[in-house]
Amino acid sequence: MNRSVLYWRAASFAVAAGFIGLWQFIADQRLVSPVFLPGPDRAWASLVRGFASGDLLDKLLGTLEHMAYGWFVASIAGIALGAMIGSSRTMRSYVAPSLEFLRPLPVSAVIPVAIAMFGLTQTMALFVIAFGAIWPMLLATIHGFAAVEPRLYEVARSLHMSRLAVIFKIALPSASPDILAGMRLSVTVALILSVVCEILAGLDGLGHWVLLSARSFRSADLFAGVMLLGVIGYLTALAMSLVEKRLLKWRSSGH
Amino acid sequence: MIAAVNQGANSLRPGRAQIVFSGVTLNLGGKAILEGISLDVKPGEFLCIIGASGCGKTTALRLAAGLYQPTSGTVAFDGQAMLAPRRDIAIVFQDYGKALLPWRTAAGNVSLALEASGMAASQRATRIDELLKKVGLPNHAGKYPAEMSGGMQQRLQIARCLAQEPKALLMDEPFGALDAMTRQGLQDEVLSLVHASDATVVFVTHDLEEAIYLGDRVIGLLPHPGRIGIELQIDLPRPRDQLTTRENPEFLRLRRELFDFIKASEA
Repeated sequence: MNRSVLYWRAASFAVAAGFIGLWQFIADQRLVSPVFLPGPDRAWASLVRGFASGDLLDKLLGTLEHMAYGWFVASIAGIALGAMIGSSRTMRSYVAPSLEFLRPLPVSAVIPVAIAMFGLTQTMALFVIAFGAIWPMLLATIHGFAAVEPRLYEVARSLHMSRLAVIFKIALPSASPDILAGMRLSVTVALILSVVCEILAGLDGLGHWVLLSARSFRSADLFAGVMLLGVIGYLTALAMSLVEKRLLKWRSSGH
Repeated sequence: MIAAVNQGANSLRPGRAQIVFSGVTLNLGGKAILEGISLDVKPGEFLCIIGASGCGKTTALRLAAGLYQPTSGTVAFDGQAMLAPRRDIAIVFQDYGKALLPWRTAAGNVSLALEASGMAASQRATRIDELLKKVGLPNHAGKYPAEMSGGMQQRLQIARCLAQEPKALLMDEPFGALDAMTRQGLQDEVLSLVHASDATVVFVTHDLEEAIYLGDRVIGLLPHPGRIGIELQIDLPRPRDQLTTRENPEFLRLRRELFDFIKASEA
């Protein structure tokens, strides 16, 4: 690690510490009532207490579960559909207009529909999360499959590669940078929608925890939940970029 | 195929032609690209096709590869009509950067052809080593194409083509994007590889000297629509040498003849 990287890292750390310091200062000076704004010390204490009693851990696992299931379903469906649509020009021209109509549809508008269909259930949450998270993945996969170098298909033809081999050895790896970028975007969408569904449907999870804490003016618990959500978002994005780096090693190499 | 007696690229085996174009015409988008091409390529022959840009040389090669089907006339290989690409005909594309899999290492790219031929995984590693050694890349097996120079990438593509154990090697301006030194080195390597493998070669180039240097025969195409305008037998002694062959009076005479042909065809 060279010096300038070290310097920037130290600087970003200092900025973060500055924000926490400012937050502590505002709380200590009671510029905002402690009923609404706990200091970082109280939020931290609540976080530790929540984990010690096991309550917060349950909620955390609940949210992670909603997120993971929804994201998983969206990934499978998004990649499979995207591969089908992307690899055929005819399919693209048939399906693209419908996608253009569905894509900008706010997921929040779909939630009442999902509730009407499935009730306030886990199935509803799964549907909503998957529906919202599928778009970045689907569109990226379509683009990735449509952009495979035609020359490689000619190579495949002259080698008499099977259809399956062409998909798994040529099209899929070629589209993988796009697919992974789509997966990274949709993991964030899945987190957002998990929280929304938990709040609306009262499903066990951090969204529900945050809502209840706010309603009963337990501001420290509220902030502990929000902090935890931030950490989930940060860690999942970090994990995805590590996976991307590992799988796309061939791209970064070179002169 | 005829028994692999190594007679050298120069002395052709008798018998029927391997690649046969009979009255081939190709129209693309209502425009005649090639018209009335009739051509025999004998087994083991090194045929070069030259011509001004846009004369349809690459198209002719793609017909020979089975990537295009003629509008009329037939293309046959070993007596069978070419209706689709064949595994025993390998194509070396000019744009090596696009023809290689960037996510596979050099070894992985060669492996692609072996996998397609159904070779058992346990046997591939040895064969890959052999092939990479053959094209002068024995120490680059673990490198990705992006880590290799243009010349190395083109060698890698040739290695993948040799992995097909082709009866015919179709090369589409394979050295067009390389610098002069690399190009000459690769010309000699291709000659010795072909000599060793006994494969038939159809080599498209816009470099007249390259065509004479490599070929047993050179065919020149006239443009709009592409048709055969000149055919020259190259009887220069083999093995060829970058200095002495190119200084041979016969070489210079042939170069003059092709040069005049190209000039007239562009007029």
